[in-house]
Amino acid sequence: MNALLAVPFVVPLLGAAITLLLRRTPRSQRIAGAVTLSVVVADAAVLLWRTHDGTILTSQAGDWPAPLGITLVADPMASLLVLVSSAVLLVVLLYAIGQDIGGLSRATPQVFHPIYLVLTAGVSLSFIAGDLFNLFVGFEIMLTASYALITQAPTRARVRASMIYTVVSLTSSILFLTGIALVYALTGTVNMADIAEKLGAAPPELRMVLALLFFVVFGIKAAVVPMHFWLPDSYPVALTRISAIFAALLTKVAVYAIIRTQTLLFLRDDISTVLMVVAIATMVVGILGALAQSDINRIMSFALVSHIGFMIFGLALGTAAGLAGVVVYLVHHIVVQATLFLVNGLIRQYVGHTSLAAIRGLTAVSPALALFFFLPALSLAGLPPMSGFIAKVALFQAAVAVGGPLAWTGLAAGVLTSLLTLIAIFRIWTRAFWGTPRQDMLEARARLRSGSNRGGLRIMTAMTGVMVAVGVAVAVASGPLTAVGFTAAEDLLDGRAYVTAVLGEGAR
Amino acid sequence: MITDPQGPGRPLVAGPGARDGTGGPPEGWEAPRERWLSTVVRPAFGPRSVLLEVVTRLLIPAILLLSVFLLVSGHNRPGGGFAGGLVASMAYVLRYVAGGRHELLAGLPMRPNGLLAIGMMMGCAAAGLPLLFGRPVFETAKWELTLPVFGEVKVLSALFFEAGVFLIVVGLVLSVVAALGARMEAEEEEARTEREQRAVWLGRRAARARQAPPGPAEGGPR
Repeated sequence: MNALLAVPFVVPLLGAAITLLLRRTPRSQRIAGAVTLSVVVADAAVLLWRTHDGTILTSQAGDWPAPLGITLVADPMASLLVLVSSAVLLVVLLYAIGQDIGGLSRATPQVFHPIYLVLTAGVSLSFIAGDLFNLFVGFEIMLTASYALITQAPTRARVRASMIYTVVSLTSSILFLTGIALVYALTGTVNMADIAEKLGAAPPELRMVLALLFFVVFGIKAAVVPMHFWLPDSYPVALTRISAIFAALLTKVAVYAIIRTQTLLFLRDDISTVLMVVAIATMVVGILGALAQSDINRIMSFALVSHIGFMIFGLALGTAAGLAGVVVYLVHHIVVQATLFLVNGLIRQYVGHTSLAAIRGLTAVSPALALFFFLPALSLAGLPPMSGFIAKVALFQAAVAVGGPLAWTGLAAGVLTSLLTLIAIFRIWTRAFWGTPRQDMLEARARLRSGSNRGGLRIMTAMTGVMVAVGVAVAVASGPLTAVGFTAAEDLLDGRAYVTAVLGEGAR
Repeated sequence: MITDPQGPGRPLVAGPGARDGTGGPPEGWEAPRERWLSTVVRPAFGPRSVLLEVVTRLLIPAILLLSVFLLVSGHNRPGGGFAGGLVASMAYVLRYVAGGRHELLAGLPMRPNGLLAIGMMMGCAAAGLPLLFGRPVFETAKWELTLPVFGEVKVLSALFFEAGVFLIVVGLVLSVVAALGARMEAEEEEARTEREQRAVWLGRRAARARQAPPGPAEGGPR
């Protein structure tokens, strides 16, 4: 049990050290990276299997008792997210390896592999951290790695984007640290279960201020609407393999942190109105931004912002059904967003850019590419029978059950956003995929499919296909997934289970 | 002091700084007669200072010893791998300030990346080994030994983790120095070499022009 909880962050760090030592032999470096991530995926699968019935596993690092030491906690939600994120990380790594084998990328693989594994460790640690400070450490590991990754193959645009990204992230980190200090001053502990026990006795105004502070901290990282401006400016500029991971995981880690802190630490109803208003604004503003763009990567980045709103919406509903919807939505969105960015990467290979103005007839260039774009895009818009439909229906049903003007407004905004997403997607579809392809695109295809590039391109396409298949599998497995979602939601809403699991029966 | 047998007092050029045969100090250079550091190459940021070289030579062993002291004493007193690593890396930074990038490279047993990797492996191994015995991550084992000189010694397995942190910090600081300071210096050196070559070339052209008086057929502007 102890090993299960530690593997997701210890093994990637070890893998990072090994890949750093192997930097002169690219082949063994690739194998080491892939093996490391496979171990994490296997471990996370066991973790989910052990926790899917609502069990909460804990491990006290160094055997120090709970409120003093570092606690690692795996509840159904954390286990599910570790599994999904490590699986996506593995597939994107294989995609990147394919790209490197084909010589199709300007990234520095020697640097990329170690830092990518450090990022994995940070993401996993954020999910299973049982105390606020360890959550901060996980976030920092993840962010520090991302600062290095975003400037891979530096160009003027990338350095500019990374400046914005770094400054915004550091601001959020400083606020996070301030928040931890304030919580510690108020309760004398940073263990989340212990805080949950002690914060109940704190004055409600203070609790609300802290709840808002933590919402702002993670809201910046999750790019919810007034704090979203940095995301469409920085993510699309990075290399495909990196923007895919950033879009799929980094914002979701922040959403997870919002859910964890708002449900466990703060009585939910403290700021649920704020959450609802922000959720509605995020959905609508994000998708309107997407409609105004003319570059596929930028459209996808704005759509990403917009769909973060759905998750905040589910949290703001505050019912088990709403949270279960959020869990399903998280899984669906991680997979779909990663797939779409990988497809954008393939488009970049064929065309050299992703600007809609100069792309035509991608369907004729590569039918597989068209299929790989079409399925996840429909899923993003929420058309049945894709996973997006199931996630959205779960959220909307929860909203109807809650009722009230705010929930209905949120529902209306959600439906509107889905329709506008569909419009954005059909703009991409009609402009980039229909028509006769430009001559230079056909030449690029011929160049890519001959010679040394061929094998690499095949691996990249295959990995994109695997991601699409995972997306379809999410829809097929929606029954068990929703069941896990409900178990996770009940664990989240009933903080007592978490507190008992961490502090033992003696507490309350 | 090891000196060149051919010219007594003339410092031996050692380390990766010895690019050319003329590696000795230029005329009027305020280099020490004895060799205090490993290399004698003039750094790009200016002439080396005798005072700084001597002080660096004297201080480095003391700084490194202090860093090891901090590393071992850190378990339940101020110090630890992080503080020790910072102090140790300061020894190398001092060496860099005194002697430039060639001096920094000459003093390192391996590239900073290697230090980083070995440190990370040590840290992960120390943190993860208890897992193999079904114990929580980071659990510490304790051994009490009686050594001949030191007497009773308590060794904690956390020391290996701290040693890993120590190496990570040293590796990180040095790679920052190598990436920022040393690279800038290398560029500066390149620019200087270019300037010198250009000066030599211009001088030769001027000499040629003096030897052969300009005729209408050649040498004039096209």
